[in-house]
Amino acid sequence: MNPYVFFTTSITSGLSGVLVHYSSVFFLGIVGFIILALGIFRIDKRITAGITFAAMAISLPVLYFTTSGPAVSMFGGTIIFNDFGTYFAMVMVISSMFIVFPALQKINLKSEVFYALLLFITVGMIIAAFSYNIITIFIAFESVSIGTYVLASFGKDRRTLEASIKYFFTGTVGTAFIIFGASFFFMATSTFNLRGITTVNSPEAFLIALAFLIIGFGFKMALFPLHQWALDTYDGTENSVSAFLSSGTKILAFLIILRIFLVGFSSDLQSVYYFFVIIAILTMTYGNIAALSQNNLKRLLGYSSIAQAGYLILVVVIVAYSATNKLGSSVIDFAIAAGMFYSLVYIFMKGGAFITMNVISKEKIELSDISGLAKRSPATAVSFAIILLALAGIPLTGGFMAKYYLFIALISGQLWWLAIIAILNSAISVFYYLRVIQQMFWKEPQKKDTFNLTGWTKSPVIISAIIVVALGLAYAMFPVLISAAGGLFG
Amino acid sequence: MFLLAIFIISILVSIGSFAFTSRRKEYAIISSAVVMVLTVVYSLLHFASSYSGGYVSVSNIALSTSTGIYFSTAVTGFTDWLLILGTVIIFIAALITKDNKDSRTMYSYILIAGAGLYGILISRNFLFFYIFWEVVLIPVYFMIGQFGGKNKDSASMKFFVYTQFGSLFILLAILTLYNFYSLSHSGVLTFQMSALLNTSFINTIPVLWKDFLIFGFLFGFLVKMPSFPVHSWLPDSYESAPFPGTVILAGGLSVMGGYGLFGILLPVSGIFSSTVLYVLILLGIISLIYFALTAMFQQSLKRMMAFASAAAMGFVTIAFGAGILEAGTISASAYASANIYNYSTFYSGILELSGGMFQIVAHGLIMAMIFATLYFITEKTGKQTMMNLGGIFREAPVLSSLFLAGLLASLGLPGLAGFIGEFSIFVGSFQAISWIIFFLIFGMIITASYHIWAAQKSLFGPYNENLGKIGDINSKEISILMGLLIMIFIIGIVPNLVYVPLVSYIAHLGGIGAL
Repeated sequence: MNPYVFFTTSITSGLSGVLVHYSSVFFLGIVGFIILALGIFRIDKRITAGITFAAMAISLPVLYFTTSGPAVSMFGGTIIFNDFGTYFAMVMVISSMFIVFPALQKINLKSEVFYALLLFITVGMIIAAFSYNIITIFIAFESVSIGTYVLASFGKDRRTLEASIKYFFTGTVGTAFIIFGASFFFMATSTFNLRGITTVNSPEAFLIALAFLIIGFGFKMALFPLHQWALDTYDGTENSVSAFLSSGTKILAFLIILRIFLVGFSSDLQSVYYFFVIIAILTMTYGNIAALSQNNLKRLLGYSSIAQAGYLILVVVIVAYSATNKLGSSVIDFAIAAGMFYSLVYIFMKGGAFITMNVISKEKIELSDISGLAKRSPATAVSFAIILLALAGIPLTGGFMAKYYLFIALISGQLWWLAIIAILNSAISVFYYLRVIQQMFWKEPQKKDTFNLTGWTKSPVIISAIIVVALGLAYAMFPVLISAAGGLFG
Repeated sequence: MFLLAIFIISILVSIGSFAFTSRRKEYAIISSAVVMVLTVVYSLLHFASSYSGGYVSVSNIALSTSTGIYFSTAVTGFTDWLLILGTVIIFIAALITKDNKDSRTMYSYILIAGAGLYGILISRNFLFFYIFWEVVLIPVYFMIGQFGGKNKDSASMKFFVYTQFGSLFILLAILTLYNFYSLSHSGVLTFQMSALLNTSFINTIPVLWKDFLIFGFLFGFLVKMPSFPVHSWLPDSYESAPFPGTVILAGGLSVMGGYGLFGILLPVSGIFSSTVLYVLILLGIISLIYFALTAMFQQSLKRMMAFASAAAMGFVTIAFGAGILEAGTISASAYASANIYNYSTFYSGILELSGGMFQIVAHGLIMAMIFATLYFITEKTGKQTMMNLGGIFREAPVLSSLFLAGLLASLGLPGLAGFIGEFSIFVGSFQAISWIIFFLIFGMIITASYHIWAAQKSLFGPYNENLGKIGDINSKEISILMGLLIMIFIIGIVPNLVYVPLVSYIAHLGGIGAL
């Protein structure tokens, strides 16, 4: 589309509609500023957290009622409101909600900044969830990234600072690659609109754009070999922030990867397939194998989250492969729905696992620090075990159903060899999850007690375990996701 | 509905066990007894007189129709016997758990394993079949890990990872079926076994995929049996597990493997090529001989009996392969007329197939008996290697006699349950694989010799005075063992109790090769 026509016609007709559809965005943003303003009055941090949580909780139904339903395209397809975007927006709001209370304990200084930032990040996530234009996606994504750089530095010790610096620098490098890729994308297609590509002027530039964008978003999603920052960051930052970084922002990166590479590069899905199949295999295999020998619990979880990112990326592989080989839209919808379900479960599995680290009051958490947890607090230990088993994909948990749908998608996409690799990987992953369970249940506790077992630290773990199990029983949810999955393509 | 009610009760009691902080043992014993009695009552109602094959108590609860997820349940004459066996094993496991402060969670694990086993056997939807299949692993893993003996860390890990690895192949096979069903039925998605387990449908699947799914199923089931060469989790797990865990491993997990073969794969036996069946027979024979030979060199009685258990399951694999191989040659109509009371119709593959199923039931009971006796011996003497025992008949004659009875049942003494299954398989498979019988005899001789040897070394001969004074078992303990012995005895004397529903089940499948 001609950019000049875009400005003259679409903006006036679209603006009134966008106000309604973005009401949750405005609402959350305004609450964010109010919280910042309240900071002047030295309001108790629990009240701040409560307001944040309530605002997010209200924004969920608002999102549902204002953005779901038949697709509404605005600004010539820059923003599209449909069920697919709504689902992801809601998932990401949930991921922010998830850390509001767990973070409460550790955030002592300037808590209003923390919560206001969290709200602004959520705003960025919601905007990104509906964007179909590289520039809007980029801006929304950067607003999230910049917010998370600050979140990562919340904390007292030097390790946190080191982690956040590392995160910041690699994040910036990733951003540079994205910008570079985006400009090549424009060069090749004369548009930033992912759905507006009519002709590819220069296939070479298109391929360069693909490569650079993969590198850029590979950094953000911590795909192998661009994952190294993630381990240090997850290890160094405060637990609830690690939970958010490894769940919320990762899901956002996943959504954007789905959108840019499957929608934007739909004319060259063959290359997308080749790039991502290699990345997916390497990422999950590397994550799982490296996790085997980890004794640092948070790093172990970090490696496991890299492996999980590998599983998630399989969705891109399946869709790209099915589309190039014309296997039909039902396969594609199933695969995307599998990714959607995985994302939701993932928040509670991975986020729950990182939040469990709050029960240990140490900065550097070793595997042996969790030994004897079953004796001290059986409920927490059982809940953490459920979360770990879900990550390993053991039945009766949401983690199993997520993997199950993913494997069905792999097999119906005729990628049975990839299904075997994924299954072997999930068999390997059982090892290190069981090591943690062993420590909790039948290793003698350490002499020096490092547990910090209060209602604040225990209840998030138990709640996420319950949700993980409940999602494993929500069989009726998946058909709904399948019907929304086509919305990825607008 | 009765069946579903029993299943729900077994789930509820397993969850409820966590609520009991004291008197868990009584709770576990009573609740597992209730489930057992209800199952027996259910069996009497449906299978005692009027069973003519096929599935009874069919119920379908739709959970998600568009993706084909139903909670479907049904049982056959075969699964019904496995249900009885499973509930008996859980009951015995609860009875022989040492009661102390630490072992409170043990009862919960036992009951969860029982509920999972129940779920596997009654599920007619592959999703739930798989879910329960995995659920059983978790309590057994915790049993070994938390209450196990030496090497419990590595043993429990090995057990879980190994068997889960096998299960994942079952999952892949299920997904393959699911996908091809939807391809050939214009996008219909279903996990229903009644739809997916259809020989003519499976035979339309492209060859590579079909081989893959056969491999997946067989691999997963043989790991659980366990069969050579996928058995290496077995000795460590059996030895490290506490006795109730060993009973569940020997009686419960091999039931899962056996059910996989005879309950899932037998109805679609037309999909197997004769090569696969010969490979299975070969694996069965190797298992039988190899495990028997290995058992001979074991010092620990528990480890020896673990191998004995695996060797006995070798018969089941042989029965499966030989039975289908032989049955493939006869027509469907001849099959449908199969009748246990008519020798001429009975004799074509049905003998070893029903013998194989009989062997699963008999093996479960016998192993429960043996490990329960071993538990009492270990409790009294504190020892379980043959070297450290010796002559305990003098001090504990009742216990020793019962152990001897268990060993004799295990080696296949006529009149006891073990004999019937092995004999049927032996006679039946002669038709299919004549010369291979020689190896079977070889295996049986070794089996007999190490059983006798174990009895001699540990029960008879001069008393090992280092053991000090050991008392005999009390009347309560005798009644546990006598109960098992009577069951073994009854189905050894009146095998038709078991055989009639099994033969009806096979006959109702309606011609194996013909499909």
